[in-house]
Amino acid sequence: MSFFTNYDAYIPEENPIIEEPPRALLPCIDIETQSPVFNLGSPEIHISGMNGALKRKPQLNTAATKLINTAGFVPGWKPFWPKLKTFGLTFPAGIDFLPVKEEKQHDDNLRSIAPPKPKKSVEDGEVRKKTTKIKPPSNALSVEDRLFYVLQPPLETWLRGQELIMPFEPYPYQYDGIGWLFSQQSALLADEMGLGKTMQMITAMRLLLRAGKVRRALLVCPKPLIPNWQREFKLWAEEIPITTLEGDTNRRKMIWQIPGSMVLLANYEVVVRDFMAMHEDDRPQFDLVVLDEAQRIKNRDSVTAKMIHQIPRKRSVCMTGTPIENRAEEMISLFEFMDVIPAHSSPDIRQLSQLSKEYILRRTKEIVKDDLPPRIDRDEIIELVPAQQSAYKIAEEEGVFRLNEMGDSISIQHVFELVLRLKQICNADPYTGESCKLDRLIADMEEVSASGGKAILFSQWTKTLDMLAEKTKQFGCLVYHGGVPHKKREPILTQFKEDPDAHLILMSYGTGAVGLNLQFAGYVFLYDRWWNPAVEDQAINRAHRIGATPSQIIVSKFICKDTIEERIDLVLRQKRELFQRVLGEGDNDNDSHSLNAGEIFGLFDLKARSGNTSKSIGPRPAKSDAA
Amino acid sequence: MSQVEKHSFHFGFLRVAQTELGFVGGILVTNSMGRPLEFQCTTPVRPNKTQEILYGPTLEPFLYSELIGKTLLERLNVKPSLVVIQQDSLLDLRLHIDMPVACIVPSDSKQAVLADQTRIQLGRQLLKFHPNFPDDHQLVAQQQSIIPDDAELGEPLDRVKDALQETMKSGAVA
Repeated sequence: MSFFTNYDAYIPEENPIIEEPPRALLPCIDIETQSPVFNLGSPEIHISGMNGALKRKPQLNTAATKLINTAGFVPGWKPFWPKLKTFGLTFPAGIDFLPVKEEKQHDDNLRSIAPPKPKKSVEDGEVRKKTTKIKPPSNALSVEDRLFYVLQPPLETWLRGQELIMPFEPYPYQYDGIGWLFSQQSALLADEMGLGKTMQMITAMRLLLRAGKVRRALLVCPKPLIPNWQREFKLWAEEIPITTLEGDTNRRKMIWQIPGSMVLLANYEVVVRDFMAMHEDDRPQFDLVVLDEAQRIKNRDSVTAKMIHQIPRKRSVCMTGTPIENRAEEMISLFEFMDVIPAHSSPDIRQLSQLSKEYILRRTKEIVKDDLPPRIDRDEIIELVPAQQSAYKIAEEEGVFRLNEMGDSISIQHVFELVLRLKQICNADPYTGESCKLDRLIADMEEVSASGGKAILFSQWTKTLDMLAEKTKQFGCLVYHGGVPHKKREPILTQFKEDPDAHLILMSYGTGAVGLNLQFAGYVFLYDRWWNPAVEDQAINRAHRIGATPSQIIVSKFICKDTIEERIDLVLRQKRELFQRVLGEGDNDNDSHSLNAGEIFGLFDLKARSGNTSKSIGPRPAKSDAA
Repeated sequence: MSQVEKHSFHFGFLRVAQTELGFVGGILVTNSMGRPLEFQCTTPVRPNKTQEILYGPTLEPFLYSELIGKTLLERLNVKPSLVVIQQDSLLDLRLHIDMPVACIVPSDSKQAVLADQTRIQLGRQLLKFHPNFPDDHQLVAQQQSIIPDDAELGEPLDRVKDALQETMKSGAVA
């Protein structure tokens, strides 16, 4: 128990005693002025006028209070963190493909390909590394969509040696194109001819399938290009099974409905015919539809465009080297297919220009020249049109039968004649003049002329060149072969060089292969193949000289599928490779590259009948590999 | 190693970043080839003044490891086999989870040249482990053969950084 002073003592009581102020403080009244006068001389008043009560001793009262046995308020702190919220994204399960079986080293259909030589940087001598990050498309609004693309690995690490085997290292601009195609819901790839649109599209499809974004895709192309796509898929994405829409109606109907087919390949005519026959509800759905040579649907009132627009799909990609052939309005149908404008709308030029910036990727040789080698070779594998197929089949069967009948009396001349006959049919059907190569050439030339380019075409027959001259007048074509008088030849070359409307010159291997300098031409077409790749190289060198050619040259070799041309091409490639391996790259002018008698006989499986047995006719083909 | 075992080895790439709104963390789970399987990120955490004073220098390791890192690991549906980090403050995450945590040793760091039994080369990166868990080194060494020699383990952490920027920009986690 303790006592202490309590401040309550200061609190005035309820009825305080009010004392009268001391008299000394009361003012006196001056009689003259009638104003109050204080008596300052009194000791009771301070000079400051303060009340003397301040001097009075305070009254102190004391009271007893209880002691407390706990401490009073103690400020406390406890660590508290609010529960963290999270945001998540699970990626769709991609398709895992079975590893592709390793091919035998000496498979006749394959040739070994030397990998491209990596570029060395000058400073440190190490390989310069560039990474291509996939950017989310500008129209991806949801954060999940954007994160899907942001979190994908850079293309180089995705493709190179880790998960996807690539036969060649893509060029840097091709990585950019692949990444762009991967991320776009709607896209038009309009690279100039020869820059690898096909490869970029296949690789993007491959990545989309792996990432689970696409499970079923449809690829529509002109009929003659079907073999080309099959071949390119085999080269760039061997693990992806391709199903080609072919055969009769019932068979095609079954193929359309097969659920497991990942990539369907069809020509425009088949798609139009089959979709017209299908009820709307029965039409198959696709995650991705790709149109090659998409200018086929430029007229949106055409049946083809109308049916193609109706294919149910999530992603739409167009490919063409000539997005605008004549009028800017031609783009409208393509944009309608790409779902970036409403159906039947009519955007003006300004809107089209804006859409083009967003949805079209176009690179020319000039833009990507630093990435490209000086010469790009591309094989265009084309399917014969029905008239050619029929003529070819008859000619081959009859020719081989006749050679077999000849038995041992057969000579190289006889075989050679048959080869020439079949090659001519590959160039054009002798009865109708129809030609798959001509169709392809016109499509390619539309791209060349649209970009203001110039091309040289080589054939071994003047008859073929004359036929082509008739059919390619729209490209301002000129003819230069042995039948042209000497005095007219120089003006033709001058016109080809100077006339901006002259996009094509047709030459024979014999006349145009040597002595001419046409290095302003960026494209070379080998309409048919010569017997000796050295002669072909000489012809190509009219347009291309290492160090002297201002820009890259693109060499297209037309090869008809399932014909003698494929077999000749294979033999020529093997010979060229053998010589390059043994003698190096510089040996291009060697006559021994030519097909020898054994190799020409080997183009056919000739057998002479002798009683009930048969034996091979002709000299044995030389082994192509020294090993 | 069988295909199944190869495919079941998953990486978790974890990163914490300081933004204007506070600390945010993100983790990306990939397969052994770097293909993304799952991504999780947190809302921003901003310590107040009292927390800053009272936690002192332990604030950052606490935020990084115990608060953000542990939460993210708990939320994952696809559990990684190895958590890869680049920030030392995250190394203590190992004290709170039951899987190895490996920190990338910067190639220009003096630590990179030190001889150390608890480090391992995986792909192009040198990794160090928490000193209290010496067995982690052995566990990761067993998986060394499935990781290509030219694998860049630092690259997915850049993707996490980009993804965090994207989520902050879109306001998804703000």
